[in-house]
Order: sequence, then structure tokens, then C-alpha cells
Amino acid sequence: MSNPTTQKNDATEQPQPPQKPQVLEEDDEFEDFPVEDWPQEEAEQTASSTANGGSEHLWEESWDDDDAAEDFSKQLQEELKKVEASA
Amino acid sequence: MGPTPVLDQFLVSLQELVQNRDGAKVQDFLQLEPPLSDIYQRMIGELRQSYAPGPKTEAALLQRCEPLVPRSKGGGSWTAFPVFVKLYLIFLRDMNTDNLLETYNQLKVLLNQCVLALGDSQMGVVVLPTVLYLSKILAKLAMGLDRRPDLIAHIRRMEGLADQEESSEKVTLVEKSANVVREAFIKCLTDRTGTPGPHGKPEGKRIGIYLMANLCLKLFFQCGKLRNAEQMFASISAQSPPLAYFPASQRVTYLYYLGRYLFANNLFFPAQIALQAAYDQCHRQAISQRQLILSYLIPCNIMLGRFPSQTLLQRPESQALAKHFQPLCKLIVRGDYLAFRQHLQFGSTTAEWFAQKGILFTLRNRCEILVWRSFARKVFMYGGSWGGPQAQAQKGPPPVLNLKKLAAATEWLQAQHATTKSGTMAASNLYGSQVVPEPTDVDYAGLGGADGTAGPTTDEEILEKYGDFLGPDGFYDEGGSPQPNVPGQLIDGNPEEDYDDCELDPYAYDLDDRTEADRFTMMQEVESIFASLITQGLMGGYLLHREPRFAIPGAKIKGILPTGFPNVWQTISARESHDSSVPGWVQSRAPTGLGAAGGGRVVNLSPEPDQSARASSHISINNVFLQFHVYDTDALDTWFQNQRGHCPRNLNAKSNPAFSIPS
Repeated sequence: MSNPTTQKNDATEQPQPPQKPQVLEEDDEFEDFPVEDWPQEEAEQTASSTANGGSEHLWEESWDDDDAAEDFSKQLQEELKKVEASA
Repeated sequence: MGPTPVLDQFLVSLQELVQNRDGAKVQDFLQLEPPLSDIYQRMIGELRQSYAPGPKTEAALLQRCEPLVPRSKGGGSWTAFPVFVKLYLIFLRDMNTDNLLETYNQLKVLLNQCVLALGDSQMGVVVLPTVLYLSKILAKLAMGLDRRPDLIAHIRRMEGLADQEESSEKVTLVEKSANVVREAFIKCLTDRTGTPGPHGKPEGKRIGIYLMANLCLKLFFQCGKLRNAEQMFASISAQSPPLAYFPASQRVTYLYYLGRYLFANNLFFPAQIALQAAYDQCHRQAISQRQLILSYLIPCNIMLGRFPSQTLLQRPESQALAKHFQPLCKLIVRGDYLAFRQHLQFGSTTAEWFAQKGILFTLRNRCEILVWRSFARKVFMYGGSWGGPQAQAQKGPPPVLNLKKLAAATEWLQAQHATTKSGTMAASNLYGSQVVPEPTDVDYAGLGGADGTAGPTTDEEILEKYGDFLGPDGFYDEGGSPQPNVPGQLIDGNPEEDYDDCELDPYAYDLDDRTEADRFTMMQEVESIFASLITQGLMGGYLLHREPRFAIPGAKIKGILPTGFPNVWQTISARESHDSSVPGWVQSRAPTGLGAAGGGRVVNLSPEPDQSARASSHISINNVFLQFHVYDTDALDTWFQNQRGHCPRNLNAKSNPAFSIPS
């Protein structure tokens, strides 16, 4: 704001200035809340989430892939069959 | 000295507010952020006229300010306050927004004096809102100036500060500010009003503990000096009233920073508890805060073996996050370690966001073991010997996986990726292990040959680039003394000698030309990875070494797959939950009604006698962790596991394969 010449130079020397980090810093700031306090009800997403007893439904604990028809699994199966045959 | 009606009135009113101990109004009175209202402009005019800078001005101004504090009957009077108001008036008089560095320095002096005033046991609390107000302005200014150093570069140059700082470690304005704010935090924490210690409700200055702590933490995070927060968390653990007594905004902010701090120190389980609580208590309309919390809570959970559900990813605050975390989860499920590595390869578009968030290396190191678990599971599913129902019912041999199959499957994976350029980079750099190669060192990334890129062609080019290697100025003789290389003189030996029979390239490798030795190395790697998974409880069974196999005994009750490849989250959380305390989070001792403020999660956190000792010992190695290059991960990880961390460790932490002998 007080040094327009520097800014100009930057712009001409670097046609594509890496501006992302700057944006990021502002993004990354944990802003002050506009209100100081609120009851827990106002933090809940829906009325049912408290009834569920918390956050369990937010996270998937079982994610193992048992789908033998999925592409990667299919290719792996074929490959393992080849190993079996050659052994 | 002319008449100063506005200043007179200002001081009279301020005196009244101080007498009434009305801290909020005192703060409201002590405005200093431009644009200032007309009445302040008039007061500034009076100050410039009647109290222009001069040798006697300060004393005269101080004299005006002294009546502000009540003459105490018994104890000493609150002398720090008049000095503070004097500095405030001088600040107003001299404020020059063209020299922001000077403004910053004056503001810091002003805040320092205000913190001194805060120290008074009787009256200090009156300036608590003012300390917070000044701290926030100072923080804002410092962050702005550190972000835009060009604004003050010319001033620094003029004052010769630029050269001075070259020689010593640079202390940013943000860090300097944090240190002042920390003083205020300590004054709040150590206030003896009411019931001190971790039991009583906050009274007096103690209501400011988390306000000051949060601001301080914000600054520490901003300037990357996380380790400076260590002492703060330890003091809070020892002396603060329970967090639950404080307003939601302070709780959420504090838990967010605490969670991030624990995350940065590889304490993922407690970090997850803190961040989850922050998320649960955060106002549902505070989308930007919720998003920030999630951007650390989600990776934390992924490393602990829990993936974000569709419900979570569809929430408004997850909109920008789903596209980063969903593919990552899919890759872990898939089990293709090379695709996973490509995804998180430094410099790739997919890795960029993680790098900006500061979680790239953590994810890369901690999640690859989960990828290997998925891969091993799939190879077992499709290539293992299940033993059949008969074998399970009777005392037959347990289900086994011949590790040769895993080695073959790994080779197949490598061949799949060898066709793509980035796949080749992830898989087949020619140094180190082929299964778990080190990423190409960026210093060597452009070298010709090794990674297939064209090198310099002419002799001149080669000499210019590698002259220090090919034609060094000297060498060391057998005795270790340096000898110069005389130009034009041959070194010992016969120049015509044929070296074809000698293998000179220790890294002579060709992927298509695997030898038995390679397979042996591959098998060692595979065994190491399995041993690591078993040690961490992410696989259940034992290894046989002579004819390398992985066996899953005792699978009758739970089934083969759940026994051999237990649920990651359940494994880790079962082990971690024996110690559910979160260092730095003071909880009410007895679960009272306030416990509900903990987000419906009942965490029994009785303070342990050794808690602070443990916290500080964590931190002593954190200094090492915080620097990106951790060389001796094995030692650290072992230490870590002994201390607490049972989180998935990186693959480099190969445990010694503990081969069991089948009974």
C-alpha cells in the first residue's frame, strides 16, 4: 500500500506469482467466533445426532474391500492364479 | 500549556470507571485503532499542542494520570496503571501509520505496561479486557507485517536492521508478540483470586486464561514455533480450572489448537479426542471453523483407521474437503502402495493441498502401512490357503499365506506401474530397496541416466556440471593426507587396463533382470512389512521364516479374516483407551452436569501424577519430530510405543521380525 513500485516489479518479473500460500494463510486462520457462548444444542447438526449418542455415524470403521469383482481385485486374482499355475 | 477540555473530561471519566472496576468500559474508553472518532481526534489535537514531545512532557503527563488510581489506605497503590495511561496518550499523540514498524514497537511497549498493570492483585483484573484488546491489535499488526514484509522493508533498511538480522536467528514480529501475550496469560493463570488450582471455578483474572492462551497459540502456530506452546500446556494442566467452565467459543478454539499441537507431535489418539470435542462443541453455523477442525480431524481418524462417512462428507463444512480425503481413503482400501505413493508424491497436484496443510509427510508415513495391510489382506483372500472347513473344525494346520505370493503380487504391481512415468518414479528409482524405495532426492532429480532423463551430452557440459567429481582438484592418499591433482600427470596404474570384468556400478539394476539376490531382498522386505504389521497388532498371526509364510492360528471363533486382519480402528482404540487423558485438557474431576458440555462424550480424565512429566518427555522428542527429517525413526518409534503411541507407524520402523516357532 505504501510501496507501489515493489509491487509493480514483482508483477513484471513473475507473470505467475505463486499466490497460493498467501491465500492459504488467510484461509488457515482460525477466526474469532462472533458470539462468545452458545448452548450445546446449537452445536448439534441435527436433533437426532445427540440421540445417537454422539459421533459414531460420522466415521466408518469397517472399510475393508471384500468385493472380488472390483477391478484391482480381479486383476490381482488373475495374477495370483498365474503364480499358482507356475509353481 | 493551553486548555485541554477533552483530555480533562477523558481522565475524569476514566477515573470513575476505574473506581467502579468496570473493566469492559475501561477497554471501550482506551480506543486506539484508526479510524478514531472525532472526540479522540480532538484529544489528540490537545495532546499535540499542550504535551508536544519534550524533556518534561512525560513527567507532566504522568502527573495528570496519577489521580486515576485510588490512593490506597494500606497497600501500595497501583502505579503501573497511570504509567500505562500515560503511554497510551503518548501512543495516540505519536501514532504514525506511515511507519508501521514504529507503531508496532510502541504498541508492544504499551501492551507490556498494561500487562504489568494486570499483575496487580487487587486492581489488575480491571485491565484484563484492555490487555486482550491490545493483544489482538498487536497480533493483527504483527501477522500483517510478517505477511507483507515489503511494507516495512524500507524502514528496516533505513535503520540498518536488515543487516543486523542476517547474522542471528530471525525472530518474527509474530513471535515477539506471542511472548508478550504469554506474559499476560501467566498473569491470568497464576491469579490467586477465588479457589486456585484445577478445582475451582474461574474467578478474577482466571476468566482470561483461555482467551490469552488461544491468542498466544494462534501466534505460535502462525510463526511455526509450536514447541513454545509446550510450557503453556503444561502450566494449564497443572493450574487451570476445568475447560468446561469456560464459554463455548474459548473451549472450541482451545481444543482446536490443542488437537493440532498433539497431531503435530504424532499423538494422534489424544489429538483425535481433542479435535472431535472441538468439532462437537463448535457452533453449527461456524462453517469456516468447522472446516478447519475437520481438515485435521479427518486425517487424524484416517491414520487411526476410521474414514469419514458419507454423512460427514456431505455436510456443508466438508464440501471442500471431500475431494482430498475420499481418494486417499479409496487408495488405502485398494492396497496399491505405488498408486498411493504417486498420489502423495511431493510436487504432484494431488499432494499439494496436503503439503499446504502441513500433513503430507505425516499421511504418507503413517498411512502406507494401512495400504500394505489392505494389500496383504487381498493377497490372502485370493491366494491364501484357507484350510477348508474340515481343517478348521479339527486340529488341522492353520490358514496360511505363502509370502512368495505376496512377493509375486508386489512384482506384478511394480510391472503395472512401470508403464507410467510417475509410476516408474515411485517404483523404480535405482537406489536402495525396490520394494520400499526412498524417494528420489531432489538434489539428484535432474541427473542423467538414473531416472531416464537426458543428461548433458558434450564433454564441456559434463565437466561444467560434474567437474568437481570427474576432475577434482585433489585427492586423499592412503595416509589420509590431501594431495593435489597435478594437471597433465597420470595417476598410478595402466591406462590401457581393461575393467570390463570388474563390476564398478554398485547399483546396476534392471527391473526385467531380477536375480535370486533380488528376490531374497524382496522377501526380506515383505517379511519386514508383515512383522511390522503384526507387531502393531494390525495383523494377527505369526511368521514362518524358513519357508516364508504367514499363519493365522485360532481363527475358529472370530473367523479367519477378522483374526488375521483385525479391524484397524478397534485395534488401536482398544489399546489406546486404557489411557484416555488428553495432555493439556483439564477435565472436571467428577462427572457433573457440565460433563455434557464435553460433546456427549464421557472421557474420564483424572489427573495423573506423572502426567506433566510425561507431557514434557513427549515434547523433548517432539523437537526432533517437528523438523521434517527424522533420521532415526526406528529408535523414536520404539520409544514412542513404549511411552504411549500405538498409532500406525511408518514402514521405515521395521521391527526385528520376531519369528515364532509353531507349536
